[in-house]
Amino acid sequence: MQDLLSALLSKAQQELPQLNTRPEFEAAKARYVGPNGELTALMKQMGSVPKEQRPVLGKAINEIKVQLQSLLDGSLSRIDSLELEKQLGPAIDPTLPSPDPFPGTRHPLTLVREEMCRILTRVGFTVVEGPEVETEYYCFDALNTPADHPARDAQDTFYFRDSAHFGNVLKKTAEEKYLLRTHTSSVQIRTMLSRQPPIRIVSPGRVYRRDTTDATHSANFHQLECLYVDKNVTVRDLKALLDYIFASLLGKDTKTRFRPHYFGYTEPSFEVDLSAKHLAKVNKEWIEIGGCGMVDPTVFDGVGYDSKIWSGYAFGMGLERLAMLLYGIDDIRYFYQNDLRFLRQFA
Amino acid sequence: MKISQNWLKSYVQLDVSVDELCRAVTFLGFEVEQVLRTGAPQLSNVVVGEVLTRDRHPNADKLSVCTVDIGFAGGVKTIVCGAQNYKVGDRVPVALPGAVLPGNFEIKQSKIRGQLSDGMMCSAEELGVAEESDGLLILESRPTLGTPINEVLPSGDVVLDVEITPNRPDCLCHLGLARELSAWFKKDLTYPEIRFAARGSGSGARPDLLKAVRVVADDDCPLYTATVITGVKIGPSPTWMQERLRSVGLRPINNVVDIGNYVMLEYGQPLHAFDAKKIGGAEIVVRRATDGEKIVTLDGKERILNSRMLVIADAVKPTVIAGIMGGENSGVDETTTDLVLEAAYFKRQSIRWTSRRLGLSSDSSYRYERGVDPHSLEEALSRAVDLLVEFAGGTVAGAVQKVGHDVPWQREIALSPAYVNQKLGFEIPASEMRAALDALELTVTREEQPSSDPNSIVWTVSIPSWRDDLDRPIDLVEEVLRVYGTERIPVAPVLTPGLLADDDPIVAFNRQVTDYLVGQRFNECVNYTLRSAKELQTWVSQTAAAELALANPFVDDQSHLRATLIPGLLESLKLNRSRGVPASRLFETGRVFVERNGQNYECLAVGFITTEDPDERSWQKRAPEDFYSVKRHLEILASVAGIDLSRQPISAVSETNLGWQAGQAAGAGDMQHGWMARFGLLSLAMVKALGIEGRVFAGILAILPEKLTGESGYRRFQPFSLYPAALRDLALVVDDTIPAIEVQKALAKIARAAVGKTFALEGLNVFDVYRGQGLPAGKKSLAFSLVFRSSERTLTDEEVNAAFQKIQDDLAKATPYQIRK
Repeated sequence: MQDLLSALLSKAQQELPQLNTRPEFEAAKARYVGPNGELTALMKQMGSVPKEQRPVLGKAINEIKVQLQSLLDGSLSRIDSLELEKQLGPAIDPTLPSPDPFPGTRHPLTLVREEMCRILTRVGFTVVEGPEVETEYYCFDALNTPADHPARDAQDTFYFRDSAHFGNVLKKTAEEKYLLRTHTSSVQIRTMLSRQPPIRIVSPGRVYRRDTTDATHSANFHQLECLYVDKNVTVRDLKALLDYIFASLLGKDTKTRFRPHYFGYTEPSFEVDLSAKHLAKVNKEWIEIGGCGMVDPTVFDGVGYDSKIWSGYAFGMGLERLAMLLYGIDDIRYFYQNDLRFLRQFA
Repeated sequence: MKISQNWLKSYVQLDVSVDELCRAVTFLGFEVEQVLRTGAPQLSNVVVGEVLTRDRHPNADKLSVCTVDIGFAGGVKTIVCGAQNYKVGDRVPVALPGAVLPGNFEIKQSKIRGQLSDGMMCSAEELGVAEESDGLLILESRPTLGTPINEVLPSGDVVLDVEITPNRPDCLCHLGLARELSAWFKKDLTYPEIRFAARGSGSGARPDLLKAVRVVADDDCPLYTATVITGVKIGPSPTWMQERLRSVGLRPINNVVDIGNYVMLEYGQPLHAFDAKKIGGAEIVVRRATDGEKIVTLDGKERILNSRMLVIADAVKPTVIAGIMGGENSGVDETTTDLVLEAAYFKRQSIRWTSRRLGLSSDSSYRYERGVDPHSLEEALSRAVDLLVEFAGGTVAGAVQKVGHDVPWQREIALSPAYVNQKLGFEIPASEMRAALDALELTVTREEQPSSDPNSIVWTVSIPSWRDDLDRPIDLVEEVLRVYGTERIPVAPVLTPGLLADDDPIVAFNRQVTDYLVGQRFNECVNYTLRSAKELQTWVSQTAAAELALANPFVDDQSHLRATLIPGLLESLKLNRSRGVPASRLFETGRVFVERNGQNYECLAVGFITTEDPDERSWQKRAPEDFYSVKRHLEILASVAGIDLSRQPISAVSETNLGWQAGQAAGAGDMQHGWMARFGLLSLAMVKALGIEGRVFAGILAILPEKLTGESGYRRFQPFSLYPAALRDLALVVDDTIPAIEVQKALAKIARAAVGKTFALEGLNVFDVYRGQGLPAGKKSLAFSLVFRSSERTLTDEEVNAAFQKIQDDLAKATPYQIRK
């Protein structure tokens, strides 16, 4: 009996560490310790062993059992690791580049627009949009542009034929023409016509001028305008906003200055210059960046706001121009070519 | 407009540096576009000297050592000189120690190669009178030795090229800007002295020269005056006048023409001088031209007129295009002895229309277009007469002939200083405000204070005729602020009352789709909205293309609004490839214009393209993009707009036209519902024709802005079962042409009916599509995985099996689909 036990153990010692797969293991386990296994069979012979030998033999069987279990455990854990090893792919070279695509990128105009919107949103502005196809009323009349103003000329503004219809851009009067907006100020009119003050909006968007394309001009470009309407809005508030915007954008040592100017829809009107240390490629102290002013009472009257009660300011700037200043880009056409070597620089 | 500092000095004391002058002009509201310096700057210690001897420098071949006589007071100086262009006996400018030449170059006594030099002989460039020069300035006129150089050289001037905003036609002349500067620098303004009283009659009228003036078109010419001046002697105008005209870019011609120009640049009132003998019938008629009437203008070009254009004619022919340019046939020449001087007021609209129509503009038309002040006309006329009498030897003959009326001018604005401060948001003392207004000749004629509160003060401000741009209190706020100085606006914090408003849903949409596509490693592009007719016809129907045309395109290839974003992206892809830059995944957001039933709709759009394989070569190939990759992108983009694409009918594009490949692309939605989507493979032929290799997939979603409602509010939580699911697979053999969604819908319906209310069919999706061996031709097998679950308990195998069996039985009864065993 003892010999049989020893033989069983040495067989197991030989066989179990060699097993490579889980089915082999399960089969071997059944052969040794399963209900019809060899050890089970030996244990069943205990009854035929003389009584006095039983304790010794029982002890020996238990020892064998323990050893078999440990052999089985060892075998199983070996198979476990073999299986995990199989899951491993080929060896890596950590210095090889990833074959996956490069990161996506936001266009620099988007980056600049979103940054401006973020800055303005922090002081209570909300972002609004309006149609790019406009009518003369929203683009000119409501903004106090006289009927014979040069900006309205077919030489400077894109018009549509009288027969053109835009289902979701409604005309104010039947005679007025459709055109491509020359500024985003039309959005201010639409907003004022649809809401009651106080209003604090920023309207970024695409605008169109009938112009030759060159390093600084483009048939379409982008503007961003702010409008604030409330009681007792002052020139000082306007200056405060401009100071805030450009200090946020370019650092606390950034300065702005107002130069009196003329726009039909603001009075008084100013051009805004800024001076900042961080601007690349600029050799002038002051750089013109936009126009602004206090909303002309005529504009308020036109949209049905009582100009005796309400006052406000408006500010507008070109986004390409701003992006060119911020990034030191010297040709506006880069924005519309989408060369990835350009796009990847800013994202 | 060019303005000369010397000229301005005739009216206002302006002993300021160029920088101070520029700053003043700038902050008064006129942009300085260019600063030009002419003549010599003020130089001290630079005098006329004569070279007495010239010897070669002992230590330098190219230098000479000269003795130079600088006159009795200065004596003889030794000067080392490097120039070569002079000889002994020449008189030249000599800068003595202490002189500061332009560029802050200070002259000192110095040793040059061991030789003492007592100063420097100068070139024109070194004196700042020429941009560049070669050698010393030889003073050919041999001025007296020791004369300060400024007495010899043309006097220095600073000329500013200034942009005058359209609201300020009064500043299109030197007096106008002098007035502004007098306010800025707080100096008095001195007007030219006028001797001729235009209202008084001269002596001896000359009806033989000018019998009558008739104004036919008095709506476009409300006021016309003509003055006869006889005995004029044509010759050069005085040197100072020539110098001033030259400094602002005008070529002196003769005294009469120059005086006309001079007064225009002084007062802003254009004038015209006729040679009296050329006026046919001694009659001036202000009328409209007849259609096709011709005139050869002073520039030698024949102009064909029409009946909307205003001309000054004589009894037989047009002689001047009113307010724009004179004709060759009527102008002043060397033989002129008698003049008719015109000073008129033409309506700006008329001049502008004609000028644009003829493509002809002039200093005169520029001023008329912007508006001249009819009330200053008489003064300008008188000034011109004075100058003609003085510098052309003329005599006024008879009274000024005047047709039309002076429109009386009176304008007053009630202004309260408190209002100004309220609009500004900071305090300017009333006295300073009043001084600013006064300086601009906006005179406070009355002050009232209805109560004891000083804030109740109201001024009556009288507005001069040349300031037609001012008619409301707010306009005067700007005037006060301009003179006060915008640089003095105090620094303040931004005050922000919170407003209950949110960003436009359009903005949120654009941000979300951009975030998604950038996250999916797409590169954002920006392309032009205006596209060519040819391109548009590739993408939309002929009728739609016609609807999107501009009336006045600037260039041919930008004549139409874009209807889709895809071609722009393909162009960007091509550009990158042609430059050797790998590009594969591009997108754009922006407006597109979609036609439906003869109406265009402006839509928001997001579009993207992705090449089947990346351009970038790599050591390991990744799974290629295909139809289903772009379908997923589009589903997600649509979901941002609140559209669940899985619940929308999707159909394959059946014909290869309008950019997409038949059978390989699909569409959903239409403009009737306010949105449309297209996605899949782009037409292989179209892509190839563009010169792009390989297969390109694309997707675009266009949606009406008004469809985005921006509904906020929170979604209700939906409880879900915590019990295990039971899974069953089922493969159905169906006709190959049947869309998967149709089979899935039929199966879902039957399965839901089969499980009834006892538990739920939680999920149903295709996990395998098979064609080929083991299946009849024209058939495919769609394998579905069905997920059952109860919200109340763990399902038993029996009940699931029963339901599954019922599903199969019902399928066999109700559908032609065969269950694949």
